[in-house]
Amino acid sequence: MMLEDELTVSTRERDGVAIIDLFGDVTTFAEEKINGAYREVTNKGARFVLLNFRQNDYINSAGIAILIGIVTEVNRNNQKLAVSGLSQHFQKIFRMVGLAQYAEIYQDEEEALAGFRRLAAA
Amino acid sequence: MSDDTTRREPVEKVIELRLPSKLGYERVAMDTASSLARRMGFHADRVESLKTAISEAVTNAIEHGNQHDAAMKVVVLLTARADELIVHVADQGRKQLDQECTTPEPKIEDAFEREDKGGWGIWLIRELMDEVEFTTAPSGGNQVRMVIHLEQ
Repeated sequence: MMLEDELTVSTRERDGVAIIDLFGDVTTFAEEKINGAYREVTNKGARFVLLNFRQNDYINSAGIAILIGIVTEVNRNNQKLAVSGLSQHFQKIFRMVGLAQYAEIYQDEEEALAGFRRLAAA
Repeated sequence: MSDDTTRREPVEKVIELRLPSKLGYERVAMDTASSLARRMGFHADRVESLKTAISEAVTNAIEHGNQHDAAMKVVVLLTARADELIVHVADQGRKQLDQECTTPEPKIEDAFEREDKGGWGIWLIRELMDEVEFTTAPSGGNQVRMVIHLEQ
């Protein structure tokens, strides 16, 4: 029975944006995978980072703590962070917790890339 | 763990789950509560709030109350009433919950400075549910009673 590790993390680049795809659940078991992916894109010099959520019907407070850790690093490293693909419920949670103040929330990847293009042009 | 209000409910209105204290089993409680709430007529966004609250309560019981001892059970009672769903979550109290921890006001800016970025679970429960009460059972276990009202 798969109760623990239900997250797949991968990275890619599009239009100068490092995209971290998160397929599945973001809980305490996600920490190494998410931090590892973030370190990987940061070591490659990423300035714009997008956390692209896919089919995430379970993000809990431990997952939120991991994401706050990413925001902490992003601020330290002068990167820009955005998130896309969150359900309405988790968009609400991100706003409640305050994550939305530090990571722009977009509906999908295309909208996020357009947002980064505007930032880069500014 | 049932209190007087639960004991008076007709038995066919109460669902009881006994979960091993192993992370991941909170999903079983989430799925069961979600299924029940949808059948009761809760809107999708309220069902999502309920799922988050119950996952946090059960996770706390597993991690803190029962200290990950898989032999210890987390008991979840779901009581369906005409106008509300009542959720009780109880652990076996290997570690008691500090009452001060039951009314947190976490701030993300503080979390940036801390090594431990967590501490959002109980706050989320309070934000998402209509009524929340933390108590200690006579046996020493921690209990949380959460209520979500059905809005017509």
